[in-house]
Amino acid sequence: MDRADIVHENFLRRVAGRDFPAGRAPAGPLAATDAVAIYRAACLSRALDRTSRAMQRAGQGFYTIGSSGHEGMAAVAAALRPSDMAFLHYRDAAFQIARGGQFPGQTMAWDMLLSFAASAEDPISGGRHKVLGSRALMIPPQTSTIASHLPKAVGAAYSIGAARRHRPEHAILPDDALVMCSFGDASANHSTAQGAFNTAQWTSYQAVPLPLLFVCEDNGIGISTKTPKGWIAATFGARAGMKYFAADGLDIYDAYKVALEAADYVRTRRKPAFLHLRTIRLYGHAGADVPTTYLSRDEVEAEEAHDPLLHAVRLLDSAGALPADQALAIYTDTNARISRIAAEAVTRPRLKTAKDVMASLIPPARPCKPSNGPTPEARAAAFGADLKQIDDLQPMSRILNWALTDLMLAHPDIVMMGEDVGRKGGVYGVTQKLSARFGPDRMIDTLLDEQSILGLAIGMAQNGFTPMPEIQFLAYLHNAEDQIRGEAATLPFFSNGQFTNPMVLRIAGLGYQKGFGGHFHNDNSVAVIRDIPGVILAVPSNGADAAKMLRECVRLAREEQRVVVFLEPIALYPMRDLHADKDGGWMTRYPDPSEVIPLGQVGVQGDGTDLAIVTFGNGTYLSRQAQARLAEQGVQARVIDTRWLSPLPKDALTVAVQGAKRILIVDETRHSGGVAEALMAHFHEVSGVPLARITATDSFIATGPAYAATMPSADSITTAALEMMK
Amino acid sequence: MKTAVVICPGRGTYTKTELGVLSRHFPDAGLLAAFDARRAALGQETLTALDSASSYSVSRHTRGDNASGLIYAATLGDFLSLKGVQVVAVTGNSMGWYSALACAGALTPHNGFEVVNTMGTLMQSHMIGGQVLYPFVDEEWLPNPRRRVELLDLVAQIGARAGHVLGLSIDLGGMLVLAGNEAGLAAFEAAVPPVQGRFPMRLANHAGFHTGLQAPVAAAGRAALSPALFGQPNLPLIDGRGAIWWPYATDTAALWDYTLGHQVTEPYDFTRAIRTAAREFAPDLFIVTGPGTTLGGAVAQSLILSEWKGLASKADFQTRQAADPLLVSMGMADQRGLVV
Repeated sequence: MDRADIVHENFLRRVAGRDFPAGRAPAGPLAATDAVAIYRAACLSRALDRTSRAMQRAGQGFYTIGSSGHEGMAAVAAALRPSDMAFLHYRDAAFQIARGGQFPGQTMAWDMLLSFAASAEDPISGGRHKVLGSRALMIPPQTSTIASHLPKAVGAAYSIGAARRHRPEHAILPDDALVMCSFGDASANHSTAQGAFNTAQWTSYQAVPLPLLFVCEDNGIGISTKTPKGWIAATFGARAGMKYFAADGLDIYDAYKVALEAADYVRTRRKPAFLHLRTIRLYGHAGADVPTTYLSRDEVEAEEAHDPLLHAVRLLDSAGALPADQALAIYTDTNARISRIAAEAVTRPRLKTAKDVMASLIPPARPCKPSNGPTPEARAAAFGADLKQIDDLQPMSRILNWALTDLMLAHPDIVMMGEDVGRKGGVYGVTQKLSARFGPDRMIDTLLDEQSILGLAIGMAQNGFTPMPEIQFLAYLHNAEDQIRGEAATLPFFSNGQFTNPMVLRIAGLGYQKGFGGHFHNDNSVAVIRDIPGVILAVPSNGADAAKMLRECVRLAREEQRVVVFLEPIALYPMRDLHADKDGGWMTRYPDPSEVIPLGQVGVQGDGTDLAIVTFGNGTYLSRQAQARLAEQGVQARVIDTRWLSPLPKDALTVAVQGAKRILIVDETRHSGGVAEALMAHFHEVSGVPLARITATDSFIATGPAYAATMPSADSITTAALEMMK
Repeated sequence: MKTAVVICPGRGTYTKTELGVLSRHFPDAGLLAAFDARRAALGQETLTALDSASSYSVSRHTRGDNASGLIYAATLGDFLSLKGVQVVAVTGNSMGWYSALACAGALTPHNGFEVVNTMGTLMQSHMIGGQVLYPFVDEEWLPNPRRRVELLDLVAQIGARAGHVLGLSIDLGGMLVLAGNEAGLAAFEAAVPPVQGRFPMRLANHAGFHTGLQAPVAAAGRAALSPALFGQPNLPLIDGRGAIWWPYATDTAALWDYTLGHQVTEPYDFTRAIRTAAREFAPDLFIVTGPGTTLGGAVAQSLILSEWKGLASKADFQTRQAADPLLVSMGMADQRGLVV
């Protein structure tokens, strides 16, 4: 017999016989009607779990990870305000249902059943995934990547204080909101979760406001691996900057009382708290998981004997809030009701085509209030003495600094965060003076944790800011990449465009720093960014382009709600000369703030027809050198700067190579998985001319004199071009 | 036993053909006598006298202080007469909310009468503004959300003019009930084309219900009617926002506050109430109690707008009704027989 059926039968039999598990008497501030509302939410959650299994057996449902045993989360919902953003654990159906009861007109049963059925009418994901979530209920959807939602909860909590100072046009959280984030005892051990706890503590320790309530739902087991007895209390009981609360999630009165205390602490002190909520897990991890294969029958039955619904009936009856026979009637009525609704929900349409599925990959545009930009006086005050040099030729790092200054002047919702971006002004000086110009609350020096930097950005973006996080070196992105891949990029997708986290992620990267740093400061792979659906990757090659592209990236984030990665070639930051010492050929003037390079527009230098060199980043610089040398040998080449590596500007590239008799692709990323693979494939599909490529080798980059040995050079480009001419 | 959501009709449903309905159907003579006694004590004509009048008079029978009590009694009588169905929730339209409160047990029959009679009398004595009815679906009931938006834009434009008051009063299936002052209503009537031979239709003796115009009525109602009249419902109640008030889980002070606050002064979303009824209770039947038969169309249109059971048009609905009735109007003798 399925454990779900055993638990159900036990409930019916034990309530009818008034055979309740032992426990404390009801105590605390929970009102009788609120207690019954919590019990109703719990019954609905339980009925949905049972129905989801029946739907799966019938081939009509597609998800069976349940919330049974965690119904006490309904009491936590009741202790919070419905405007408190909640990043929920996947076992929190009862929380969402209880919160739904706080908003008039929600149809919680229908909505949840549509999501089990993967109906296109599922109001949160549009049938893309069974996720908890609701725009009306301020619950952004979370997928099942373990604990990866914690860093952004930290960011969202931070945003509340930040919005008190500079409230963004698209802010959605009230000033007195808190952020709630829940997870299981097993995922509390995940390094991502630990990073988020640490960041919250680090922030709070400095008395920076962070109204964040962590809720650890401790059911004592992660799939089949038990959490050591007492571990959660032992490791979280006394952490710096994060107050610990413990409650019994099997007792709705206790859970409500303690959650209320914890929420009050977080809201009034604006400090993080850790609510340790005892729960149990009924029927195993998911539908296909049979707990008796790794737990003894006695252990399973001992847990089942403490079904929180049984405790709830005992407590409600004892408190005089609801007689046990009425509680039983609510349970059975709810089951019958859910069966009727499910029969209708499974008839609703589902997604069919790739187009259907992909419709929410790119979020909807949002209107932004028009701005005339900063006044000349404000600009003069911000730029200071720099204004005198603004018409001079400058290297890319300086131009970027000015572009950032103008963007931050024009858009008060822009906030930057990263390691050393504030006081120091960045390792390469790109963000110099910005902290003095805009204050440390818009130029946030973070702790040393890339997951936290990206989580801060994602969370702030969800409250209307336009974050521009910086990852100090491309190689440092990889430990945190899931924050973009699994979280930022998927949010519009899984919320059907209802929640977004637009941002411009600046990363300093690529190779060619002369002898400095080796691989970890010269990473030359972008594959990890390029294959994320919906994410834009921009790589400028010179200062003027960088400014104009960065403006477009900020527009894409602010107005089109896109997640954009802006990869800045470190070696080109200080580059001044192109062909000869002191020729100043790679410096540019700062383009007027109105000038923009739109997404998908490529750069073309020269109109030679012998050869088109298609490249980007450092490759553009090196190809320009090669172009001159080739001209000396009578070969007329044009250099095409792709600029946008994802999505590739295929149509613009096709147009740009027209008339060229040969195409040479120059790619500083690796041979395997590098950009050239996509460019070769594209030109093979659209062009009949001879194609060749020169790429970096499949190697890490060395430090010292061989720093550029594995990558294309002006010489190797010239040689490859001449080879094609033979 | 079939499950059913019961829907209580609002003002305008006790019409000429309903004359005598209480004497024909009301199942509890003692209760009716109590209502009559209460009205007599207030110096009002009794329900029995009104119901047994020799002829129907618009000025007499549609007045708020008379119509409300008549409709309430006819509704409650029908509800008490139901047999062979399991009522899983109760809802209502506009004034029908007061009836729904009584059917669901949140108000006793007597307290329900007190509330409805008081509010009907206050509406009549204040008589602020009026109502006009206009459809945004055609005669085939095909949903036309764009037309709805156009009409509401027009309403907003007119309402913004100096001296004009106009706003949404009730989302009534495929129709909009608008409320406003005379200038606002007249401007709307002049701005829209006549359709279906009867719209725009001004509703006689109706005030500008469910808008801010009724704030004085709400205040008077709150002064006259104590929260202590309200108790726990014994059936789920769906209000004019589509919110559900559950037995044992209802904050009765909040229920009083909604009933004599938001419900009086904010738009009433009957369509959403029916949508909630369908989606959260999935009943076998939607039963519209008497008096009258006019609310059935709005229920059917609301179900079509909610794409319930694949219904997309009037023809779909009629086909379904012929095969296996989804909607029972107790004001129709043949349908009434299915549930009493």
